[in-house]
Amino acid sequence: MKILVIEDDAATGSYIADGLREEGHSVDLITSGAEGLVQATIGIYDVMVVDRMLPGLDGMSLVKTLRATRNATPVLFLTAMGGVDDRIEGLHAGADDYLVKPFAFGELSARIAAIGRRPKLQDDPVTLSAADLEMQLLSRKVTRAGQIIDLLPREFALLEHLLRRKGRVQTRTMLMEAVWDIHYDPLTNVVDTHISRLRAKVDKPFGSDLIETVRGAGYRINEA
Amino acid sequence: MSARAPMARIRSTPLRLTVILLAIFALATLGCFATAYLVVRTNLNAAILSDLQQTVETFRSISDPDELRERLVEAAATTDPTFRVLHYLPDRGAVIANAGEVGPISGLSILSDQDLDRSDTNLAGSYLALSTRLGTGQLIVAQSRTPIVEMGEVFFAVFLTGLLPAIAIAVGAGFWVARAARHRIENIQQALSEITGGHISARVTDVDGRSDDLSGIGQAVNDMAAAQEALIASMRQVSSDIAHDLKTPIQRVSVLLNQLVDKTELTKGQEDLLLRAQGETARIVRTFQALLQLAQIEGGAVRDRLAPVDLAEVVRDVVDFLEVDAEAQGLSLTADVAAPATVAGDRQLLSQLSVNLIQNAMMHGADGGVIAVRVTADDSGVALMVADRGAGIPVAERDNVLQRLYRLERSRTTDGNGLGLALVAAVCDLHRARLTLGDNAPGLVVRIVFPPLAGSAGVGAPAQGPHLTQ
Repeated sequence: MKILVIEDDAATGSYIADGLREEGHSVDLITSGAEGLVQATIGIYDVMVVDRMLPGLDGMSLVKTLRATRNATPVLFLTAMGGVDDRIEGLHAGADDYLVKPFAFGELSARIAAIGRRPKLQDDPVTLSAADLEMQLLSRKVTRAGQIIDLLPREFALLEHLLRRKGRVQTRTMLMEAVWDIHYDPLTNVVDTHISRLRAKVDKPFGSDLIETVRGAGYRINEA
Repeated sequence: MSARAPMARIRSTPLRLTVILLAIFALATLGCFATAYLVVRTNLNAAILSDLQQTVETFRSISDPDELRERLVEAAATTDPTFRVLHYLPDRGAVIANAGEVGPISGLSILSDQDLDRSDTNLAGSYLALSTRLGTGQLIVAQSRTPIVEMGEVFFAVFLTGLLPAIAIAVGAGFWVARAARHRIENIQQALSEITGGHISARVTDVDGRSDDLSGIGQAVNDMAAAQEALIASMRQVSSDIAHDLKTPIQRVSVLLNQLVDKTELTKGQEDLLLRAQGETARIVRTFQALLQLAQIEGGAVRDRLAPVDLAEVVRDVVDFLEVDAEAQGLSLTADVAAPATVAGDRQLLSQLSVNLIQNAMMHGADGGVIAVRVTADDSGVALMVADRGAGIPVAERDNVLQRLYRLERSRTTDGNGLGLALVAAVCDLHRARLTLGDNAPGLVVRIVFPPLAGSAGVGAPAQGPHLTQ
């Protein structure tokens, strides 16, 4: 992917740029808001990473201006600690996702993968599947190797979220946001417990693991 | 108003002083009145008595029995019995009298109904009578007490038309003044208890335009609260300034550590040290995040964003989220949730509040094995309760645990940053909800009562502004 990073803090900027380059992306790093807006307008990018606080033109105005010119490039917003309103304001300005600094690189990478070049989620699939696992969305029936698996509503939602994003890493934070609507740090690793319960029903009895743990990032269900 | 109200009224100083004052006033007035009555009455009695004695002496000065008889007959004929009754009962011969029978009396006495012949309509109501030996018979001279009786009536009329209304007016005015004073004292009392209860912005309201002692006290209370408020604000400002200044360096340290982990070949020992450093940095970041968030919530900017939220749904989500944690710790986490329970709120902050309360119960009330979460909704508002059966919080510590970074002595060894309940308190304040920490005997019960939604209470009601009623 071609990624534009607009971040004025040198350490954070190079951390993001270097990491993304290592993952095989092509990265342009800009350190001021005004320059960033120019670059975003003339270049064609798959994803932009924009810091909330920038000298010259702040990130919020930058995204608003960009959206006003009908530029729909997916934007990941970086916000500082303590901003209760930043998430809502950022999303309102037209950002696609947000991340609070400091963050682990795995989190950034997973979120960029989620918003960039988004392969359209199939609008209304009736079934979701991975290998021998099948999920009937209307009858809410889950089977693996033909065997029915009983899931609690929230386990169903968790599995559905992973299946819909097959092949893409979902971080713990992303899962909390999507499944429990929790957009803050609840200071607990309870997502891991939920995943291990799900595994006990979906993976363990069948001897092969569909739900993979991605070290330093999160969880993923692989294609076939 | 409860059954304690009458007791409170009796304890009210202005009222008590008024009652004492009124009692003194009434007693003094009645005393003066009674004294005046007695003096006048005694004087009148003395005047009548001297009249009688004079009359008797006049007859006694006549030594000739025939002349005495003649003078008595003459006196009986000319004396009006309404004013004076004459009755001479000689040892022999006919009675000389200007009225009917007069009962046998001796010395000085008062004649009333039973002593007089009531068929004689010319007689007055009562008489003062003097009976004495005169010549060869017994003379009874009685003078009407009408002036005394009339004087009594006049005094009674004065008492009824003048004194009673005066006392009644004094009582009324006294109670009115006392009530006004009591009201102002209660006003000061209420402001004080609100201030000590943590609502530092509460003030005594009626201090303007008066220069009396109560206003002085009210003003002093207000000044004290304002000074305290300024102190707290500056303390908050300092901690928030520090947090803001350290934000960027902490973030850089975190980034640098991440880069070190990702990009360097490290020995096992080095990597362990690095991971520990990362863990500690993450802790610092979490504490800072919480402090900054608190500062922002207390700043109140979020208040404009409050919209109807179903607290029941929020709590169900949170319980569902944390239940597996509780189960893993061998705790039973139960939710009794009435739906819908709509409050004007911020969904994320309410969710975070619920998480903090339940985690607090899981951390400090784990011994009890049971954590009960309840959401109730009725006309008086929506209430959230989280109760555990653990060690609880001593009464004296209950206010302290709501302060940031405060931790009970016995909690110092457990995980947690001392900001969880401070955030709960701040979120409650933001929502104008009442937070109380109570005794669950054993354990802690945290109760939060949200104010009722203005207007319609249904889900999907239009967004409300900040709730302003107290």
